[in-house]
Amino acid sequence: MSDIVVSMKGIDKSFSENKVLHGVELNLYKGSIHALLGENGAGKSTLMNILGGVLPPDEGTIEIGGKTLKKIADTIAAKKLGIGFVHQELTLLNDLTIFENLFIGDEIKKGPLLDKKTMIEKSKEILDRVGVDLDPKTPVRELNTSYKQVVEIARILMHDAKIIIMDEPTASLTDVEIANVFKMMSSLRDQGISIVFISHKLGEVMQICDRYTVLRNGYMVATGLIDDTINEHVIATHMVGRELSYDGLYVKRETGDMLLEVKGLEREREFKNADFSIKKGEIVGFTGLLGDGRNELFESVVGANSPYKGEIILRGQKVKMNSRNKSLKGGVSYVPRNRKENGIVKDLNIATNMTLSVVEKLKNLLLISRRKERGFTDKYIKELSMSVHNVKNPITSLSGGNQQKAVLAKALGTNPDLIIMDNPTQGVDVGAKLEIYSLIMQLAQQGVSFFVLSSEAPEVLMLCDRIFVMFEGEIRAELDRSEATEQKIMFLATGGVDESVKTAATA
Amino acid sequence: MLDHALTKVRNIRGKDIMRFLGNNAALFAFLLLFIMAIILRGEIFLQPVNILNIMRHNAIIGIIALGMTLVIVLGGVSLSVGAQLALVGWISIEVFNATRNIFLAMLACVAAGIITGLLEGVLVAKFKVPSFIVTLGTMTIFRSIVLYGLTGGGLMVGIPPGGVGADRDVEVARIYQNISNVNLFQTDDFIGIPLPIIYWIALCVLMYLFTSHTATGRHIFATGSNEKAAKLSGIKVDKIRILGFAICGAMVALGAVVETARVGAISSAATGVEHNLDAIAAVVIGGASMAGGKGRISGTFFGVLTLGVMTNLLAIMGVDPFLHGAARGLIVIGAVLLQRRLDGTKEAT
Repeated sequence: MSDIVVSMKGIDKSFSENKVLHGVELNLYKGSIHALLGENGAGKSTLMNILGGVLPPDEGTIEIGGKTLKKIADTIAAKKLGIGFVHQELTLLNDLTIFENLFIGDEIKKGPLLDKKTMIEKSKEILDRVGVDLDPKTPVRELNTSYKQVVEIARILMHDAKIIIMDEPTASLTDVEIANVFKMMSSLRDQGISIVFISHKLGEVMQICDRYTVLRNGYMVATGLIDDTINEHVIATHMVGRELSYDGLYVKRETGDMLLEVKGLEREREFKNADFSIKKGEIVGFTGLLGDGRNELFESVVGANSPYKGEIILRGQKVKMNSRNKSLKGGVSYVPRNRKENGIVKDLNIATNMTLSVVEKLKNLLLISRRKERGFTDKYIKELSMSVHNVKNPITSLSGGNQQKAVLAKALGTNPDLIIMDNPTQGVDVGAKLEIYSLIMQLAQQGVSFFVLSSEAPEVLMLCDRIFVMFEGEIRAELDRSEATEQKIMFLATGGVDESVKTAATA
Repeated sequence: MLDHALTKVRNIRGKDIMRFLGNNAALFAFLLLFIMAIILRGEIFLQPVNILNIMRHNAIIGIIALGMTLVIVLGGVSLSVGAQLALVGWISIEVFNATRNIFLAMLACVAAGIITGLLEGVLVAKFKVPSFIVTLGTMTIFRSIVLYGLTGGGLMVGIPPGGVGADRDVEVARIYQNISNVNLFQTDDFIGIPLPIIYWIALCVLMYLFTSHTATGRHIFATGSNEKAAKLSGIKVDKIRILGFAICGAMVALGAVVETARVGAISSAATGVEHNLDAIAAVVIGGASMAGGKGRISGTFFGVLTLGVMTNLLAIMGVDPFLHGAARGLIVIGAVLLQRRLDGTKEAT
């Protein structure tokens, strides 16, 4: 256990005037899962990019395989040193099969032709090694995200990786899928492979990791074994540098008139028989596994996924929701999941992203008023305590948490009566998470209604008045806050049928 | 220690300058070429007549490139602008010859430009056909219609309907041709500024205001950069795409009026043949991304000028015209490489 495979010492790194790493040390041990923790912008990704050969350090050394290096030249050099990097964005080619993806660039040939038989056999061996039973001839597009992740890791293992860096591998996975990934991780650990695990989910870290290192503002603030003395609270405190508490977050509120009713909503192969409603000031949760249909269901509710069967009734009026613009005008805001794909527009600056839904209203006659725009961005930067140097900077210059706040500003700016938030804290660090939860609660007290869509049961349990659990496109149960527990949600989300719950819901 | 700190300061400056250069690569490519021209053949190049000539010659490409910028920012491309110019230019001359009214002629021309643009836009936005395919199709269709209509020949301004070349009314033709052939501020010692340059610059200003200072302009950039996010933000992305092509059509029509007035005729086979690639080249030199979401009106303006100065310099230096194409090609590729180096981004295409 005690043999060190990689030792990074005194690592410094700056981007222009901004120093992001200050003499950071990191020791990785053979056959160990090492959690690398910190808020967004703490320097985790930079440190891992240095280890993965993506960036050179300004100062410091990396000891690996008995050699002391000034830097790892590039990703190919990293690969040769046995370092594999699993990025958050998967790099598989969806149109190819699993074995074609595994062997891409290293195809086995028989003369001038591909030796598919051998490649398929070898793929099977690797897949067995990571403990999944998949047919190597399956096209990657048919796999769910957790299996794609597994294939990505299998590809790294093909190059005899001894160190695997996993950047938030579970961010878009459901609990069952996470269990798959964890099973694979422990089997790799038992084979003597070291894993660096970056995650914002501290519960997972406690469950799977045996060592940890916490970075804060580019400094290493804590490191050690995960034993009985370490718990989530201790680590969160290290991460933010102050005490954090979710206690007293939920406030009981009076709810008002019926705002939105959905009756028998259905779209083939996506969701069916969806009946639910929300009142003014209510926070309603929707949870389930990934692919349970809640994303598609609510895209239909906001008009971005039509046509549908069934009725959507907004403030007592039946509405045909066939464009997002219609729902927006009806006072419905939407914070979609997958910020990079659906939330931010990467080529536009921070101000333009924040004002995208309201820019029509910031005009003087025909042209956009810089003053009104400034007023809008200043207001939300303050309200959401965003850290922004200059609103003219690209949106991509912000940390994940601040990008999410920019998307929130866009949603709040239209003064909505209802906000639908899908995975509102995806890739957001603990500090910003708490701020977003408090904001939801605060707005709900002012009469704004929320649908919170999340795969994380604790999130909906913490915030919501009522929780709907979905499974394979159907609402399986409606739980009141008082009766909902994580166990009950898990049971229903995995397809379990509980008669008592069901009758309670329909009664 | 001090040395170390100094190097750092130098690095910062270097990086910031690089970023600034990257954002304005077209301007610097243009300046570089301009200085080269002054050094090599300053005495001819710097003469006002020469400078005005460069701008006058490139005003039409400049106007079309403004429309092309929108299409490219939307993540598309148009191969049909040249053929479209021939088609709507023909309509403009026919209407003028029949009515002898330049306003009716221009109205018909712009209307035809917008309608053909709308048609392309609808096919791209509603029927989800890639713009490359759509405009490849419309390019051949438009060209074929003009060739058929003029039986492969041309049409001069000022010929009455059904007439032949001998019937040409020079006085009437002059009314139309004055659109392009009058110089503003002309005095005895100063040749004045040719009107096409004024049109071009005025349209640049309008398009700059439209793209950078209106809500619709921002919607165009958002749609081109991330259609899904734009749609979920309440932007009517299909309408925006159609609008982009319609405006491009209108720009082509304005370019057609200026071109037919300058030449006084249209050729069904030759008019606008080189315009497609020149317009795309100018926009690309101007820093637009073929993947959409990026592009600047100022960039396009200097992109057009870069190509113009290049061609002019080669002509002054007596380089064989057959080689001009090679030089232009090199400049397009060189400008894009320079841009990537400067702003340090690698772009997947």
